[in-house]
Amino acid sequence: MNSLTILVVDDDPVIRRLLEQRLKKAHYSVDVAEDGYKAEKLLQQKHFDIVLTDLMMPGGIGGIEVLEIAKEIDQNIEVVLITAHSSVDSAVEAMKKGAVDYLEKPINFDELFLRLEKIINIKSLMRNARDIHEAMDATENAASETIQNLEIMAAKLQQRLDMVENELRDEAVDAESRIARALDILAGL
Amino acid sequence: MIKIKPNEIKPVAQYIYEISGIFLDSNKTYLFETRLSSIAEELGCASFSELHTKAKSDRSKNIERKIVDAISTNETLFFRDKGPFELLQHKLLPEIIDARSAKATGLRPNIKIWSAASSTGQELYSIAIIIKELVPDLSRYSFQLLGTDISDNAVAQASYGKYNKFEIERGLPRAQLQKYFTPAGEFWKIKDEIRAMVNFRKLNLMSPFVGLGKFDIIFCRNVAIYFTLEDRKKLFNKIADSLADDGFLVIGSTESLTGVSPRFVPKRHLRSIFYLKK
Repeated sequence: MNSLTILVVDDDPVIRRLLEQRLKKAHYSVDVAEDGYKAEKLLQQKHFDIVLTDLMMPGGIGGIEVLEIAKEIDQNIEVVLITAHSSVDSAVEAMKKGAVDYLEKPINFDELFLRLEKIINIKSLMRNARDIHEAMDATENAASETIQNLEIMAAKLQQRLDMVENELRDEAVDAESRIARALDILAGL
Repeated sequence: MIKIKPNEIKPVAQYIYEISGIFLDSNKTYLFETRLSSIAEELGCASFSELHTKAKSDRSKNIERKIVDAISTNETLFFRDKGPFELLQHKLLPEIIDARSAKATGLRPNIKIWSAASSTGQELYSIAIIIKELVPDLSRYSFQLLGTDISDNAVAQASYGKYNKFEIERGLPRAQLQKYFTPAGEFWKIKDEIRAMVNFRKLNLMSPFVGLGKFDIIFCRNVAIYFTLEDRKKLFNKIADSLADDGFLVIGSTESLTGVSPRFVPKRHLRSIFYLKK
């Protein structure tokens, strides 16, 4: 069972339909968009883990722009570009802008699922790391509160002890009064 | 991964102590394996004794440097723990700026801040960002921000100021990320205006502090925990010598100076503690 949500963006209705069917069969939760505008709208409406987008699409919003919009909405969305062999260079450009991977057309579905599984693994590792970090932060916060309280308390005790020492060494006063004053200081703790 | 043999622990731990001051007791042996295995493998060593022998006989000290890099590098974040940075922003910096401004008649007040174990630079850059945001007219002051670390690699990385998105996403708010960093693919690079405020250089905290002068604020967080009590005492004694009489010391939020240095008194500010010289 895959709980990941994928947005497929492609202007070619055949590819769009094919991707949707194959991904749904693999138990991914899938939405489709036929162009960049629709993709932008969907990205704003709901959360996606992965965006699978064609690089070249008619209209003002191409794959690169979809990538930028997705990353702007949520840095954690992973974007995979689908590209014709002739435009691999632009796909590499897109990876520099934060795409996680690209696939060449015609789509090899074994390859696609392999890449998706890789992304899932990385995402789950990142989630684990985040959980561990959070647990570590919580432990550290609790520990630091205790240590800081002890630190302040130790400093106060030291200060009192220094005062007691001074009183006891004060030769201008007789022994009994010195002890009485020292006891007063200790009683104030 | 190469396993460390029981009879190797003591000599290798002693060697690491000598080159880095980091004391690894026998319950931290996993650190040898996780951090040094790849160096040993790269050099074709089958065991830690072999690596030890090779490192000692390497006149260029390249292996020693690699070992120090690997063993000393620890996780560090921008604004790691909010506490110390809130403390800096709301208490330490305003007080030091006032104190130094009152003293410096006619001259630009000089304020020196030291990140004593700067690792890859996140702490010092976080300090620089706070100063940049707190002080509207930077040119009226002379800020000297120094970061030191024992690892050549960490110093080089800090000087370069480039971080991957995992290193940067935790801790740094998006607004500040976009304001003070330039995106470069999977990486973010610190902008020149912040980079120009800081300096990094190599320093082993175990050796004498030569030519550093006195600082107004010292951050020495989460490094002394790797030292023996004796070395911690020496370290904070030297730090006391390097701190201005009215200066501030900040240590890690789970660290303590009780039983370590009698020369400091702790003061509480909100959720944090800082230290003054007695």
